[in-house]
Amino acid sequence: MDSNSKDDHANTGLMLDIINVKKAFGELKVLKGIDLQVQRGQIVSIIGSSGSGKSTLLRSINHLETIDDGEIWLDGVRVNQPGMKGLAFENHINSVRQNMGMVFQQFNLFPHLSTMDNVRLAPMKLKGIGKSEATEFCMELLEKVGLEAKADTYPSHLSGGQKQRVAIARALAMQPKVMLFDEATSALDPELVEEVNLVMKQLASEHMTMLIVTHEMNFASEVSDHVLFMDQGVVCEQGPPEQLFSNPKEERTREFLKKHLQQQ
Amino acid sequence: MNFDFTPVFENYETLLTGAGYTILIAVLSGILSLVGGLAVALTTLYGNKAFSYPLRFFIWLFMGTPLLLQLYLLFFGLGQIGILIPAMLTGILGLGIHYMAYNADIFRATIESIEKGQNEAARSLGFGRMQTLWFFIVPQAVNRALPQLGNNMIIMLKDTSVLSVIGVAELVLNAQFEIANTFRPFEFYISVAVIYYILNLIMETSLNRFEKKLEGRR
Repeated sequence: MDSNSKDDHANTGLMLDIINVKKAFGELKVLKGIDLQVQRGQIVSIIGSSGSGKSTLLRSINHLETIDDGEIWLDGVRVNQPGMKGLAFENHINSVRQNMGMVFQQFNLFPHLSTMDNVRLAPMKLKGIGKSEATEFCMELLEKVGLEAKADTYPSHLSGGQKQRVAIARALAMQPKVMLFDEATSALDPELVEEVNLVMKQLASEHMTMLIVTHEMNFASEVSDHVLFMDQGVVCEQGPPEQLFSNPKEERTREFLKKHLQQQ
Repeated sequence: MNFDFTPVFENYETLLTGAGYTILIAVLSGILSLVGGLAVALTTLYGNKAFSYPLRFFIWLFMGTPLLLQLYLLFFGLGQIGILIPAMLTGILGLGIHYMAYNADIFRATIESIEKGQNEAARSLGFGRMQTLWFFIVPQAVNRALPQLGNNMIIMLKDTSVLSVIGVAELVLNAQFEIANTFRPFEFYISVAVIYYILNLIMETSLNRFEKKLEGRR
């Protein structure tokens, strides 16, 4: 492992630095060399049609997908470590993941645990925080997402929007440096989307670093500092939302936006 | 035809002792079959091939041959080559291992049925592989397996009677002992049937209650 480049990265001040990331599923090249820099406190949205590789990119950052080539850095620590194997890598990735909160399209709450246990188990087991202390600050998180009354409820009794808000609280409970949202509202009924968006906007206002994969152009333009348009495994165009949404340079971006804004 | 249950009432203590052993065997074999079944399932799914292949062979072997034959082999077969295990222990082990094979198959199926997203959610929080299994996958798999495991345990309770053939003094053998004294097979066997029925009824009701409690947590 090259410790020099690690030192270099400690000084960049970047929360996320993604360099030339490549990933293929068999013959299918899903990511063809992605570069992305996210500053501390920055909110970056990734848009693009299905199959453009945006979800794969997000999952690669959390190492739910193993990339074939490139570098992923989180706050000066390299996430993917090509030279590291077995238990050493397992320990490394577990500690790296504790700094990243991931929110999934399908919520993936633990159905056998109450809302409170869904949120509090990770800080208790992984950070060794005592039960009463964990309960206290997890209750604050549930209050933040407006679900303190549901602490003892099991996930099967929650609506989709409530489930996703619990999932956000669960990710926040590890006090991550960055939050990754993988189409957090795509599986929700239209009338439930707003309650999740509100929670995400609140996080944005608190300067949480966020990387958001989304199909919702309005939300992306409202909340982001920076927007990436991905197409066929490459970043086709990027820029501040005002520019990308109202004055896109690339033909493919224009086509995509036209199609999607018609739908909405 | 004249039924006379007096000999049964006079010798109820022998039946109760037998029933006690039946319960003891069922509980011990049950624990062995459940804990062992889970261990076998986890090993065949995630373990080293050096362990998982022999275990798969073991499951195939025990599911493919009759319990009665397995007990004969364990008791008389091993006895012939000088390995003498007391009948009671042989019975508990034989019954436990037989149902361990069935339970392992159930656990394997329910563990595999847990959605991939559960694993991803746990791992993304920073839980390790073993922690993910222990805190999230196994509890859910056990919840899902409960109805089938319950059925197996009810069948196993009845199958404790097979242990009478190797001389374990459980309910049936004790009844046979009194039948030899009293020549009242009909009365004794009917009484034994009633006792089995009551034991299963207790088991079924408590299982149902347990499952009700877990409803909505799957």
